[in-house]
Amino acid sequence: MSKSKNGYKRVSGDAVEYEVFARKARIDSLHLVGSVVAPDADLAMAYARATYDEERWCEMAIVRKKDVIRLWSPGEP
Amino acid sequence: MSLSDLVLSLADNKQMLGLRYAEWATRAPSLEADIAAAAMGLDDLGHSRVLYGCLEPLGDDPRTQDRESSPASIRNLAYFDEPWTEWSQFVAANAVLDTAFTVVIEACVNGSVEVLRQRLRKMLMEERYHFLHGRSWLRSGIEPAPLLLAWQEALEFFGPPGSDVEGLSMGPEQMRARLEEQLETKAPDVVIHWNVWDPLRRRTAEGAIDEPTFAMLRGLEEKKYAPPTASPPARVR
Repeated sequence: MSKSKNGYKRVSGDAVEYEVFARKARIDSLHLVGSVVAPDADLAMAYARATYDEERWCEMAIVRKKDVIRLWSPGEP
Repeated sequence: MSLSDLVLSLADNKQMLGLRYAEWATRAPSLEADIAAAAMGLDDLGHSRVLYGCLEPLGDDPRTQDRESSPASIRNLAYFDEPWTEWSQFVAANAVLDTAFTVVIEACVNGSVEVLRQRLRKMLMEERYHFLHGRSWLRSGIEPAPLLLAWQEALEFFGPPGSDVEGLSMGPEQMRARLEEQLETKAPDVVIHWNVWDPLRRRTAEGAIDEPTFAMLRGLEEKKYAPPTASPPARVR
């Protein structure tokens, strides 16, 4: 893991990935707009808001990627 | 100390905070933190514009001509005089000073002056994410020196005990308590020499922002990059 010149790792060992979901209108479904990496949910919320705030979302939510239960994935039957 | 003086100091500090955040948009410890630094910088620069816009409706704009020539006429805390060299300085400003400014904005929004009650409310929503960012990084641990300095300057910004500003819902003591409540910690023991406190700049330290930053605020830095022979583009008919 590379370190910045400030001595902090760019992604710390306890950082986890969060999926970011959002929608523009109440009639839309929430959909995946991207992901962020952060050591806790507070920071993940701040990062999600900063990174994906270019649209006028009426709702945004984050979920730990490991908490998403996948029925199947690309390439699987 | 009038309400306009306080609002101008808040605007100048927000502007400087935004600029200092932006300086870290490519130097933070992670890509996400880079983006957050840029976004928070944009937020705070926007907040400063709104606050400057409140001065005229308040009816007493304290800005004078010397703001074009004297860096010391900018009413910012000493914490913003020089660019930060350490990430700990960023985090201390983000967690303590940014939150202290939000406490003052809360005092405006819950106060008795209608223009402030209306125009500043949206800032509180945006500041929620600055707070989450600062508090989370603060919990990860930073150097003690910038944290102590940030606390001292936050208390200086609130003002000496008993120096309540008319129109605000909180005085200095209540603001201090609110900041402690937000950060879930007591303010450290700091000695503030109120006898040398500048009521306009809301600080005890002498000094002013660095010359390059002052030149940038006035647009002079941009002119450096314009070719000497540059002329306006020809109009297309």
